[in-house]
Amino acid sequence: MDSPSPADAARFLYREAALLDGGDFESWVDLYTPDCVFWMPAWRDDGTQTSDPDSELSLIYYRGRRNLEDRVRRIRSGLSVASAVLPRVCHLIGNVIAEPPVGPTQKVHSVFNVHVQDVRTCRTHVYFGSYEHVLEVEEGRWRIARKVIHLLNDIVPTALDVYAI
Amino acid sequence: MGSAEGQIPARLRLDQLIDDRPAEGIFRVSRAIYRDAALFELELKHVFEGGWVFVGLSTQAENANDYFTATVGRVPILISRNSQGELVCLVNVCPHKGVRLVRSMAGNASRFVCPYHSWTFDSTGHNRSIKWKSSGCYSAAFEGEDHNLGRVARFGEYRGFLFASLSPDVPPLEEFLGESRKLIDLAVDRSPDGLELVPGRVRYTYAANWKMQLENCADAYHFTSTHPSYIKILNQRAAEHAAEVVTATLGAADFWQEGASGASGGSMSFEHGHVLNWGVMPVTSANPDFERAEELAARFGVARRNWMFNMRNLTIFPNMQLAENASSQLRVIRPLAANLTEMQTWCIAPRGETPAARTLRIRQYEDFFNPTGMATPDDTVCYEEAQVGMAEQERPWLQGHSRGHAASAAGGNAFSELIDVAPSYSVLADSQLGDESLFRTYYRAWAGRMAGALDG
Repeated sequence: MDSPSPADAARFLYREAALLDGGDFESWVDLYTPDCVFWMPAWRDDGTQTSDPDSELSLIYYRGRRNLEDRVRRIRSGLSVASAVLPRVCHLIGNVIAEPPVGPTQKVHSVFNVHVQDVRTCRTHVYFGSYEHVLEVEEGRWRIARKVIHLLNDIVPTALDVYAI
Repeated sequence: MGSAEGQIPARLRLDQLIDDRPAEGIFRVSRAIYRDAALFELELKHVFEGGWVFVGLSTQAENANDYFTATVGRVPILISRNSQGELVCLVNVCPHKGVRLVRSMAGNASRFVCPYHSWTFDSTGHNRSIKWKSSGCYSAAFEGEDHNLGRVARFGEYRGFLFASLSPDVPPLEEFLGESRKLIDLAVDRSPDGLELVPGRVRYTYAANWKMQLENCADAYHFTSTHPSYIKILNQRAAEHAAEVVTATLGAADFWQEGASGASGGSMSFEHGHVLNWGVMPVTSANPDFERAEELAARFGVARRNWMFNMRNLTIFPNMQLAENASSQLRVIRPLAANLTEMQTWCIAPRGETPAARTLRIRQYEDFFNPTGMATPDDTVCYEEAQVGMAEQERPWLQGHSRGHAASAAGGNAFSELIDVAPSYSVLADSQLGDESLFRTYYRAWAGRMAGALDG
């Protein structure tokens, strides 16, 4: 399979977002390679985010899909009060820019807005920022080898899980 | 009596907020203490602006002219290391029109210029320029006023931990910290170079009272109830030994396991409201400090070294928590309203640890402590659900401060003696005791700071 065209890349991102919005977390995890990086840096100061996950704190940093499976397991466990009433979420993705492919990998930049209705508290939140996806062709389909979420919100209202970013 | 200036209505008497009758074995806290907006204003004034509070670490302003900003209660402050290398704690407000002088979280500056009318101050807070002063036709009386930045009345450092008080009427810092300072020693001594904050500050809010966080850090009763989803993941990870998942410190510890027997932890209570909730944890490679285990034992003895590996949740009343359990976290509690609290959190780490140890510490931290992790959200959601239940109702008294009273003993015990700590009270517990008697320490200190503001 060829590397995705910019339009294909955008469609792939929309599909990932739709799986999260629809609560199909198992299919969402399946989009990732077994050794994927899933990374949401923290803010180092007012203007810069942490850039070295091994020596600086991140909001989320995983190397390996297995960790995302743990996240989904916890959400589904029925044992997490923070996950018991799942918020309704709606991802909007825009400004999709696909870099020229390098071998079998393709880097895609985009921005996101996630609107959240926290059903438990009747509060709404908006999370926003940008994504960097590195896509790879694996067994004839695209997989996410790396996703970096640059969250611009500075203060998390109570809790933020993988389905709302 | 009526509601005089600065006092809340008589319906909120101290003895109607805290029912403290030791001789009868009664200690109860009213829901109103978490809910009442007028009481919250008094707390800001008397608890947070009327006594010592934690404001930061000295390493946040390490070099000449480094600074960082913080708050004491509602008052913005600026902690600056002046050109002589001395730390000063200033009110971060221009005396001219009251504008907040420095807006950034941290930086380096030898001069601070107010954005409104360009009054300029040096890194000691001295006024260096009043714009167009000679043309200003000021009165002689103005010339006689102090135009420097306000100094916070009391400011002190204990082993890199900085505390400030807007009120001058406080005991010396060492007396305020008392025996609890030895728990700070235990944390700091893990490195000959002390502690530092890992870059990356994480902030979150929760829609509940600040005292919910104060209590939760010391709450040994909640772990298996609130965090079963996380415990399940810990157990799965321990069973699989998969390379890509992080090793957990808590997995190997008994202090929270329901099946464990014998003394596995407990609590210590100190003067001025400080408490420690602790549990035995083994000295294993799951702890990032393991690389220094032998060095620490040689330097401090095996008993003290083992204590450095124990689970230790230390609260310095009213706003600092040093949580050493799944990883190591520094928390600052910032009350915003009776039902809204902001948490400022950092990973705190011994300086000079190897990159591998630092990375392990960070990975353990993120999964457990972050509001984007797998444990803290289950706590904060419970605080919010508790806040819903704090509405005024027929039975005002909570039943959440009662466990452990019959086990609470004056002074220390064999475990505290190992590190030469002499608490006012202590509890030695098996894993199912879930001590709540240590909360008395918070509320008695709270009552002490609020004494002048409440009746009864």
